Amino acid sequence: MLMIWISILFPVLAACVVALGSAKSARLTALVGTSVSLAALAIFAWNFPAWNTAEHFPSVSGPAWIPAAGITLSVGFDTVSLLLALLTAFLMPLCILGSFTAITQRSKEYYGWFLLLGSSIILAFAARDAILFYIGYEFTLVPMTLIIAIYGGTERRVAALKMFLYTFLGSMFMLASLLYVAWELRITSGAWNFDIDSLIDASVRLPAANQYWLFAALMVGFAVKVPLFPLHTWLPLAHDQAPTAGSVILASAMLKLGTYGNYRFALPMAPAGGAELMTVVAVLAIIAILYGSLICWVQTDAKKLVAYSSVAHLGLCMLGLFALNPMGAEGAVFYMVNHGLSTGALFFCIGMFYERYHTKDTDVLGGLAKRMPIWACFMVLFTLASIGLPGLNGFIGEFLCLGGAFTAEHDGQSGYPGVLGPWYAIVAGLGLIFSAMYLLILLGKLVWGPLREPHDGATHHPHVSGVPSLSPDLCFREIAILTPIAIACIWLGIQPKPMLDAIAPCAARMLTHYPQEVRRHLEHTSAPELTTTTSVNDHERATNE
Amino acid sequence: MIHEHSIRAAALAPELGWVGLALLLPLLSACACALCAALRVKSKAPAIITSLALAGSFVIILTAYFAYTGPVEVPIFQWMSFQWGTQSFQSFTADFALYIDSLTLFWMLFVTGLGTLISIYASEYMESDRGGGYCRFFFGISVFLFSMSALVLGDNLVMLYLGWEGVGLASYLLIGYNYERPSAVAAAKKAFIMNRIGDLGLALGIFMLWANYGTLQYSELFAAMNNGGQSSVDWDLSVIPFLLMLGAFGKSAQIPLFTWLPDAMEGPTPVSALIHAATMVTAGVYLIARLYPFFELHPEALATVAWIGGSTALVAATIGMAQYDIKRVFAYSTISQLGYMFLGLGVGTSFGACYHTLTHAFFKALLFLTAGAIMHGFAGQLDLRKLSGLRQLPGWRIVSWTMFVGCLWLAAFPYTAAFFSKDAILLQALTSERGDFRFLGWLGLFTAALTAYYTFRVWFRVCAGPLHYEGGSEGHHETPAGHETPVASHGTVASSVQPAPASHSAREGHSVFHPHAPRLAINGVLVILAIGALLVGVPAYDHVFAHRENWAQSMIAGSSAYQGAGIEDAHAGHDAHQATILGMDAHTGLTVVGSTASIGGIVIAWFFHLRNRKAADQLRAALMRRYWIGWLPICMENKWYVDEVFHVFFRLPMWVGGQILSFGDRHFLDGVLVDGLAKIPLGLGRLFRPLYGGALQGYAVTMAGGIALVIAWVTWIWVRGFN
Repeated sequence: MLMIWISILFPVLAACVVALGSAKSARLTALVGTSVSLAALAIFAWNFPAWNTAEHFPSVSGPAWIPAAGITLSVGFDTVSLLLALLTAFLMPLCILGSFTAITQRSKEYYGWFLLLGSSIILAFAARDAILFYIGYEFTLVPMTLIIAIYGGTERRVAALKMFLYTFLGSMFMLASLLYVAWELRITSGAWNFDIDSLIDASVRLPAANQYWLFAALMVGFAVKVPLFPLHTWLPLAHDQAPTAGSVILASAMLKLGTYGNYRFALPMAPAGGAELMTVVAVLAIIAILYGSLICWVQTDAKKLVAYSSVAHLGLCMLGLFALNPMGAEGAVFYMVNHGLSTGALFFCIGMFYERYHTKDTDVLGGLAKRMPIWACFMVLFTLASIGLPGLNGFIGEFLCLGGAFTAEHDGQSGYPGVLGPWYAIVAGLGLIFSAMYLLILLGKLVWGPLREPHDGATHHPHVSGVPSLSPDLCFREIAILTPIAIACIWLGIQPKPMLDAIAPCAARMLTHYPQEVRRHLEHTSAPELTTTTSVNDHERATNE
Repeated sequence: MIHEHSIRAAALAPELGWVGLALLLPLLSACACALCAALRVKSKAPAIITSLALAGSFVIILTAYFAYTGPVEVPIFQWMSFQWGTQSFQSFTADFALYIDSLTLFWMLFVTGLGTLISIYASEYMESDRGGGYCRFFFGISVFLFSMSALVLGDNLVMLYLGWEGVGLASYLLIGYNYERPSAVAAAKKAFIMNRIGDLGLALGIFMLWANYGTLQYSELFAAMNNGGQSSVDWDLSVIPFLLMLGAFGKSAQIPLFTWLPDAMEGPTPVSALIHAATMVTAGVYLIARLYPFFELHPEALATVAWIGGSTALVAATIGMAQYDIKRVFAYSTISQLGYMFLGLGVGTSFGACYHTLTHAFFKALLFLTAGAIMHGFAGQLDLRKLSGLRQLPGWRIVSWTMFVGCLWLAAFPYTAAFFSKDAILLQALTSERGDFRFLGWLGLFTAALTAYYTFRVWFRVCAGPLHYEGGSEGHHETPAGHETPVASHGTVASSVQPAPASHSAREGHSVFHPHAPRLAINGVLVILAIGALLVGVPAYDHVFAHRENWAQSMIAGSSAYQGAGIEDAHAGHDAHQATILGMDAHTGLTVVGSTASIGGIVIAWFFHLRNRKAADQLRAALMRRYWIGWLPICMENKWYVDEVFHVFFRLPMWVGGQILSFGDRHFLDGVLVDGLAKIPLGLGRLFRPLYGGALQGYAVTMAGGIALVIAWVTWIWVRGFN
């Protein structure tokens, strides 16, 4: 508890110090601030009692904040949110390290905002109060918008504005839904209460029609953040324009707020709505996979390619989540962490050659293995992780997501009936081929092949003009950034079991109401063959559990 | 003959954990190679470490073979397992564990054995690259052996998938070894992606198996099979073998996913020998052999395998006849021989398929390594029109004669090992009750004649005849830095006419090309492999002359691959006793016909490529003149245009789709819908301003221009794609 608050508030404190201190000390202060945050969270995780038991939240009811409205300062973790918060805290110091040479002007503000960004993301993951969650969730936009708008590329203002307005509009839907549920809760219990578990308990008792709209509204809010096709268009632009560290945090941590929101709010709050709309979301997810992949294929801008690959990858993650069975949910959560690691690392890699050549265009630049062998090793490793090579982290999530979708069939012998099934998995599985295609094309152009370097002064950005000259290949600092991520990728690929075990009870908890709701949905819609004995047996089995 | 009706249940044997060292050793050597690269080691240390590690795994597998008593499962550590309930179908288990039965050992013996030999060979072959490249090469070899071992030894399908993709990765890294050469990069990419297409099939097959049986462990799957193969749901089980075979066809380069294999010859030759001839490409055969019971449940699946295999054998042989690059000829022969193996699996003799895999592994590795020795010595020269009579050249006798052995084996010359293994397949096909299998058998015999022809075309051209040679244009892609015979570096062909060593007349200031003969590591490995190729025939001689059971057959029979519960009673010998071929007893008949095909092919090759070399060109010209047959050589030389078909029907539409979507994403979805919505408040204010219409027009013009550009671009790519 204390450790959670330290991990959230220490960066804020550091931000204050940065604001008061000199520009030179800013980056060190920021490094210390984020490192302490990571250390505090690591200590918390080390002592976390509920890694793989069914006990989830250390039932925390924090101090009241606005008693009249029932808003409290309660924070706490289940293993899923803890993993995501750890991911964020893990990447923050690396991002600070990665900004040392990239950010040379107005660096005080930069580090200050970055510290606040990290805090607010961790706060959103840790919040046990819906309003607290909303504050963390929304506040991330402020520093991110400024980071893009001040330190970004040539179209940075447009990109920042678009990102802000787009996601802000989305989260209005989310806030409205949460307030609606709290209102319903107040009607039954007589007092305002924003505790997430209480809200969930209240909302699952709502009529199916209300749940339907509740789910749709929550989904719109989170889908923008995921981003789910067709609400994704802010993302490539934002990534393209953001500075490297901004892209890393955006892809690795902020997008996870969208999938996490689905996991924490949309799915458990409105199971009846989720059961009705799961096909819609799954179809959108599959479109995202194919659409994102095909667009990736023709990108010549390395950073945009990775940005669109996020659309495709998170489509797969959403597909796993909406398979609504343990395998898929497990895979989806695993995939969130994986994507954070491998895509974040890819953005780092891209930023590293961008700092040297000031271009991301793969038509001008290529064959860097000759010039930057160490960088090439990392780039290949993270690309393979992103492709989903078994033995690296990407595979576990990808395989389970697809498997979950594949086995989400009517009969539900796993105890969890579904409405997706083989065809969904087959079409989504094309993404496996496509991801290999576009990422290997990227590798083929950027890493392999004859060396191609742009002529001097190709692109000139004002804020990188004063960069101290970098060594041709990665320097020690840059290796220090990528090595921890590489170790994490390999380790999770070889030893996923502890994490899978940790996720399992949370996934089961999220899916508590789904077997019944999906079964009801199936009986309502059609399929007289489902009213056979197997279905009844399954039902009995589910109720016995 | 052992004939069991149920697969022997596997015992749990944690005490056999030491077999896991066979996996660990290559992994450790991969780490050591990476460390060498980091420390900038310039010595042969990576080669020595890798060879020792692989030899270690071979010894471990050999020990395991001698200690083998029955199928066992050896748990190592828990990998991808979790559960959400206590009943069946409520857990997902995919652990790092080994499943050891005789099929596993059979495969691992030749994989680790050949791996060791080829890494020794490569220690000399790659020596000019010592430093970063050397480390990278042996890192790749180690990763490959680790993955291949995981593929074969794994006790569940997810571990098989791990190895499956891992060998794909090793193949990618090693084909692209010369990463500065665009063709190598393209070939590596193509290999990985075409394999991925198959991998998707495999992954879906795995999901389907889990959805039907709730487990992915071999022992439990086989147990389910023993209980009648029924599962609790009515999902269409017959899809499973078709999905799995897609994976097998991708990895083993069968129609339609075969075009990556010839391109994979861009990799260094030891890689071609080890990965793209002897071991990795047989993974598809292993997969089907391992899950043979599931294929036997569905005769139509096996028939598909047979047809694909038979037709691949023929098509690849026709292409192989028309290639001039020695490695490419051998590459197509690999595809063709893999086709035989699938034919064998399809017609119901998993023994024949597996035995042919074994013999093929030896003689094809041998052939590639001889080609590599030539390439190494002649500065990358592989054109069989530019090399002749090498057996007369001092220092090249071992290469020439070991190549002769390899060619005899590939041509299935009577009473060589490959003759018996190929016969086992053809006999089963020819004595089948199914007419189409008998047809495939005759097709296989015809292909055998073609094989003998194109194989000896190479040998008669390169090793026989008058001595003359030209060096390669490039200094043998792993350009030797301190090489004793520097080759003209800027693409001039340094040529040399007979008698080569004597003529030292420098032309235009370039030094005369001197081939440099292979030394101990290469020659030694060639001799060992030639002996190995002889030895793998011993089980067959044992069977034919001493009437004892064929060792390979007993190995297969004791495993899941040989159940005999298939389409017909799969006793290779049983039916054959009644059936006849051309009025003779089937065995005798096949021996006669097979020998005729083989020797006939060799004689034709002798006539066209040794006796009267001009006749081959005359024949080609004569064929080309006749319109009704003129397309044949053209198609054969152009690989039946399979690449172009892929290009036009898959790559191009997808690329166009990508461009359209990319444009639409930026300009329609984002530009019109999103920005348009955002502009509603703004637009309301400007509604009456006349300029607003102008902006729209401007937009339309932009869009039209964009589309025109895309079309022009597409046309350009189309044109470029065919060059």
